[in-house]
Amino acid sequence: MRRSRLTRQLMATTLPLALIAGAGIAVADPMLGRTMSSYGLPGGIDTPTAETLPDGSLGATVSLSDYARRGNIFFQALPGLTTVLRYGRVDGIEDFRREGFISDRSLDLRYQIVDEDGWRPAVAVGLQDFLGTGVYSGEYIVATRNVTPTVRASVGLGWGTLAGRPRVIDVTDQGGTPNVDQWFSGGAKPFASVSWQVNDRLNLTAEYSNDIYVARYSDGNEYQQGDEPSSKLNLGASYRIGRNYEAGIYTIGGKTIGAQFTIALNPRDAAFPSGLERAPAPVRPRVSPTQDPEGWSGSWSQDPTAQPAIQKALGDAMAKEGQRLESMALTATRAEVRLRNQRYINQAEAVGRTARLMTRALPPSVETFVITSTTDGMATSSVTMRRSDVERLENTEAGQIAAASTLSDAAQTAGLVPTPDLYPRFRWSVRPYLDIGIFSAEDGLTHEVGAEARASYEIVPGLIATGALRQRAFGDIGQRGPGIPDTAANCEEFGRCGRGEYFSPEEYEARPGLETTPEGVPRVRSDTRMYTGNSSPVIPEATLAWYAKPSEAVYTRVTVGLLERAYGGVSAEALWKPATSPLGFGAEINRVRKRDFDQLFDFRDYEVTTGHVSAYYEFQQGFTAQLDVGQYLAGDVGATVTLAREFANGWRVGAYATKTDLSAEEFGEGSFDKGVTLSIPLGWATGQASRDRVSTNIRSLSRDGGSRVNVNGRLYDRVRDSHTVDLYEGWGRFWR
Amino acid sequence: MSGAKRMRKVTITLAGVAMAALAGCSNSGPDEAGGGPLAVLAQTATQAVTQAGGARRAEGPATPPPSPEQAAAEALRVNPGPLIQAGFEGLGRNQIMAMTGQNGAMRTYMTPAEEALILRDGMLVGTRGLGRDLSVAEPGTDRLIRAGQSGSGTRIMRYLSGDGLERPLQFACTTAPGPNPGIIVESCEGHGTTFQNNYLVQGGQIPVSRQWIGPGLGYVTIQTLRP
Repeated sequence: MRRSRLTRQLMATTLPLALIAGAGIAVADPMLGRTMSSYGLPGGIDTPTAETLPDGSLGATVSLSDYARRGNIFFQALPGLTTVLRYGRVDGIEDFRREGFISDRSLDLRYQIVDEDGWRPAVAVGLQDFLGTGVYSGEYIVATRNVTPTVRASVGLGWGTLAGRPRVIDVTDQGGTPNVDQWFSGGAKPFASVSWQVNDRLNLTAEYSNDIYVARYSDGNEYQQGDEPSSKLNLGASYRIGRNYEAGIYTIGGKTIGAQFTIALNPRDAAFPSGLERAPAPVRPRVSPTQDPEGWSGSWSQDPTAQPAIQKALGDAMAKEGQRLESMALTATRAEVRLRNQRYINQAEAVGRTARLMTRALPPSVETFVITSTTDGMATSSVTMRRSDVERLENTEAGQIAAASTLSDAAQTAGLVPTPDLYPRFRWSVRPYLDIGIFSAEDGLTHEVGAEARASYEIVPGLIATGALRQRAFGDIGQRGPGIPDTAANCEEFGRCGRGEYFSPEEYEARPGLETTPEGVPRVRSDTRMYTGNSSPVIPEATLAWYAKPSEAVYTRVTVGLLERAYGGVSAEALWKPATSPLGFGAEINRVRKRDFDQLFDFRDYEVTTGHVSAYYEFQQGFTAQLDVGQYLAGDVGATVTLAREFANGWRVGAYATKTDLSAEEFGEGSFDKGVTLSIPLGWATGQASRDRVSTNIRSLSRDGGSRVNVNGRLYDRVRDSHTVDLYEGWGRFWR
Repeated sequence: MSGAKRMRKVTITLAGVAMAALAGCSNSGPDEAGGGPLAVLAQTATQAVTQAGGARRAEGPATPPPSPEQAAAEALRVNPGPLIQAGFEGLGRNQIMAMTGQNGAMRTYMTPAEEALILRDGMLVGTRGLGRDLSVAEPGTDRLIRAGQSGSGTRIMRYLSGDGLERPLQFACTTAPGPNPGIIVESCEGHGTTFQNNYLVQGGQIPVSRQWIGPGLGYVTIQTLRP
């Protein structure tokens, strides 16, 4: 079973040249979007089309007009499935804040059912703002077809907003759950668009849209966003700048002018697909037995000075190629090296480079190479291969050496000799840091800049003390309490209440009772802003972690100390994950106490036990799933489902949702916790080999339900790099 | 005029210093820096700035860059092993490369910066460290070219694509004698592109050639300085 899976993974299909060249060669098929709509999907101006984006595309469209400012984050999750997360400032609507606009989040899905084929147009079906009833809620079916090579036309049928019949928004609804019964109801109207690709860069679009930009609420209020469109005809022009940018202007109904800007990234579109790291040291084939009879006989292994000399030479060579030789076991015919990969995003590249260095360092009688990957002192997997195969297959199709080698759980080898002078190991750094808050609809773009000193002391492999100290320099992420709940008592006591009003830090600290919401939920995350804006030094993290591998496929971690900004305590985790299995199970239990807002060594009164059991599964083509069931920080019980898509180059885009036994009212706006995670390896952008990543977690809101402790070093992500799915996905870099 | 020039140099250096401060300091190597995106980007920028500055400084009037012939003569004097001269057309660079490994008929040649060309008896089978490398070429026309014969065959070129997978491109190729004696031309077509490799064949060896690396790097001209 393993072999067939492996073969399928490695048998990559032939792609159009453009994908490898990365050049802007026009590809006739499939029907890819030429311009983005103001809702951040391939489309006209406001109306959708049946176009898609190149698979895996990730980007953002910002559009501005008198109707709204929309920040749309789009991701082509599957070849046919486009997803958009939208942060909008919808103008013209009054809420409790009386600011003349509301902040609104919405999520869209569009699925292209069929692509264009001969006379048949591409057809897509879409849901706009489908979680709860929102300002933009609507559904559509649309068909798009090329009329000439440069002119493309779309015709569709829309419901809800798209039909100019906005749904009545329930003011008591906390949002966040799909209102399936309203979908495709309330009467449909047609819409249409035509786009003309004038040249490589310029595109002109005209559309017929029924949107009337009205929002209706269940309390009887009705708001016109911006001005009522004077006609149903919208016109737009967009201009492509380079491969990744698009700028456009448009008019809605002839009177209202808008502008938009798009940045689109494609994980397949790396600047340097093969990386700029130096070439590996080549294989050194063995000389014939007649030329080195002693080396071939294995008698050298009786010499006690042989292994230390070999280990030193190999360790030095590996260090030059970004790996640490942790230990080595050497007999006359077999060598096992344990490496820690510190440079390459794909473990296969580390394994391949080590195999070649072994051919250069080891006497000729050594025929069996065992290359064991380690992380934090835990041996995670072994790749076993014959030296003759390494010599024979050097610089051939990577699948061949994959088929000639075997992957297993880390070998249980006697006689491993640790490389001297590696431990204890002390590392420190002083660096600037930059925290950016982008997606807070209420605060806009916020930032904080300062310096961070960080040190780690690895006493023995797997036992690591880590500490960090931060000093803020400047920024506008200030300290403040959580929002003031809209209760009569609050309104009277503080003279202000409801959304948009916050406790001052002094008010919040002076009244310990406020650390529980009126619904009785302890504030475990909603007061997270109390931890920001400290002008004196803070300790974001100070821990002692112990990693171990008690049996063949079981990994454990115990972490004690100040685990994260807001919680300290003890965290223990165990993971069962065989190296050759796509399935893993884990369990984690934490006993934590809430830290004081000064982020030093004091604690507050809240203490809780939180823990989960988890199941992990890696599907084909880079899709992974995770299910966590357990008790969360606020003592609520529930489950988290996480789905992610990963590319061999290390890109990761995921989404998760958590539902606990808190009611929607107890949880507050959004009803349950959900979010999007992005992680892009820096090497993808710079070409330099590095394991560093840019990662972000876009959560809908900072809420108390469904929250977990952010403990560093969770096991699953540490061990799976060298396990079957991840290792073989990146196996193409074995000879790199 | 010269004052303005000096000013410019000073600003470049200052930019370098500011970037270095952003990058921070530590006792660990670049591999485990883990300083986050800001530090890494600053480091990359610092490298770019200092390299640009260095290049500008090296461009002094006193030492014009050696001509390819001079460079070849110098390399032959210093290095006793096999040497080639490689002109990367896509990169606009001409470099001397020394053999660093030999595995049967396959030889690896590297520049001082450890970028590699991998040749099998003169036929290009791979490159490393150039960013848009050819992982491996499987030229089905190898035998025809060495024999100096006309014919056709399939050539498979494998590349790491941007998403990190090794992907094959298959080309249909024909071989025929070129306009000049001793030259064999291999013409290939596939995936909406065409390319032509030229080989000077002498007794089954290929001392001079111009071969296509791939869509990212274009052609390389390879001349054997010392076999």
